[in-house]
Amino acid sequence: MVRRVLARLLSGSLVLAGFGPLYLLAKQAITPELESFAWPPFWLPHRLTAAHLRAVFALSELRSVLARSLAVAALSAVLATALGAMLGYAMARGRRERAAGLGLISVTRLLPMIAVAIPLALALIVLGLYDTQSGIGLALVHGAVALPTAVLTSFSGFAGLPVELEEAAWLDGAGPLRAFFSVVLPAVRPFLAATFILTFLLSWDEFGFALLIQVTHRTLPPLLYYYTVFGDVGPASALALVMLLPAIAVVVMLRPMLGQTTALSALPGGVAPGERRDA
Amino acid sequence: MSRSAARLRLVFTAVPLLLMGLVLLVPALAGLLIPLTGRGHAFRAYRAVLADPMFGAALRNNLLIPLLSLGIEFAGGFALALFVTWRRSPLVEIAVVVPFALPEIVLLALARFIFLPRGYLNGALLAAGGVPVDWLRPGSWLALLTVSVVDAWHVTPVVMLILAAGLRSIPAELYEAALLDGAGRLSLFRHITLPLMAPALASALLLRGFDAMRIFSTVLVLAGAEGTPVLSTYAYQLWSDQLAPGRAMAAASLLGLLVTVLGLAGLGLGRRLSRQRGSLP
Repeated sequence: MVRRVLARLLSGSLVLAGFGPLYLLAKQAITPELESFAWPPFWLPHRLTAAHLRAVFALSELRSVLARSLAVAALSAVLATALGAMLGYAMARGRRERAAGLGLISVTRLLPMIAVAIPLALALIVLGLYDTQSGIGLALVHGAVALPTAVLTSFSGFAGLPVELEEAAWLDGAGPLRAFFSVVLPAVRPFLAATFILTFLLSWDEFGFALLIQVTHRTLPPLLYYYTVFGDVGPASALALVMLLPAIAVVVMLRPMLGQTTALSALPGGVAPGERRDA
Repeated sequence: MSRSAARLRLVFTAVPLLLMGLVLLVPALAGLLIPLTGRGHAFRAYRAVLADPMFGAALRNNLLIPLLSLGIEFAGGFALALFVTWRRSPLVEIAVVVPFALPEIVLLALARFIFLPRGYLNGALLAAGGVPVDWLRPGSWLALLTVSVVDAWHVTPVVMLILAAGLRSIPAELYEAALLDGAGRLSLFRHITLPLMAPALASALLLRGFDAMRIFSTVLVLAGAEGTPVLSTYAYQLWSDQLAPGRAMAAASLLGLLVTVLGLAGLGLGRRLSRQRGSLP
């Protein structure tokens, strides 16, 4: 009995800890800023306003930031997905290619963002790709940053494909390139879709490179940073809500993974005390 | 045929690796080398950085915050993994992954609204009859702890997922056999769960250790670049506020060297441990 109450209490506080902050964010987005600055803080909205949310889509500055973020994320996701599929395929079919790919991926994964971003910013200045209106330099960088993720995701797709599939196509007279496009790629379409979504979100959420490279022509994360730090609570909260929309897709994607781990409760003993109580 | 297939693989490997090399590896190497070759005295940028007291503080924080953060997220992640597998509730499952599903910058904005002097946490403290606390006072130990807590908050769901996968890989027969031999729950945990979880724990620790040392945005958003510096924010501040790219690259490269050296040491240690374990009966 005590244990059940305790478990309820714990579940309740976990749900509160997970969703409570989101509620506060939503509250700040739909109330006048005066309420967000109140002390002691308001826990419930007193007056409602749509001004902050409307501003995100109406103010031309914000709208251009939103458009830039979308464009950078889409371009970098296309780049990472295409190049990731190439390397993933080569790694799935050749041992040396696998060693080379994994080697460079592990080296680049060790690099701190700041150690890459500062010299890269200098190089982009020279190339004329620094802080451009379109954000094309940042898209290129995000494409490279997301590449390891893209490679590993598409690799698992290609590795599960039997080699005989291409070999049959070769026998039928298709060259390796044609076999890749017309036989191999269609077979891994779900993996490519997952890769695109993942890499899109990586760019959409990325803060460090965006902060250093798009100094005046910003994307959403640095803009949210400046709003937050300078105390523009209402616009910051509205912007944060907009940024959340794609993240909801991640929760949906992570849930099945978590569902698998709950198969654990079939185990007796310390792992799943709840099951033992019933036994 | 296999010759042209090999040629295709070569092209498919070379093009992506070239992009990664040019965008990530070459700049990092350039950042390491350029400060060595400054006009006048060689090493000047490195010497200037090493002599700066701010660098010392950043280095100290850069080691302390990961330690604190790793401790919090592994304790929390393990507890959550056990709890979520025990009480199966979809609502709780979603709630515990929310912090990781949020874009990092959104989570940090939220953390700021919560931990500022007039934030929601102090509001709750006040409502409960407590006294407001300055959670983010520049340079304080409390600010260090707050930053670590927020960093841990963000990644605890990942640690939980890795550890839960490790838990799942333990065969149920082991528990059944031990139960038949009369083992208690604590000794099941101590002698089966923990040792069999060691590989998952070690790889998660290594993975998260690298990340934790590269901490940047959490510190920048919560504490600012000057209040509680770490090496990343110190380098950023040299670059954007002091307009000193040479010293900024020197500081950033020192962080890169630190992560690489500690990372390789960690890898070596992990390999030696697993070899020792393998030699046990």
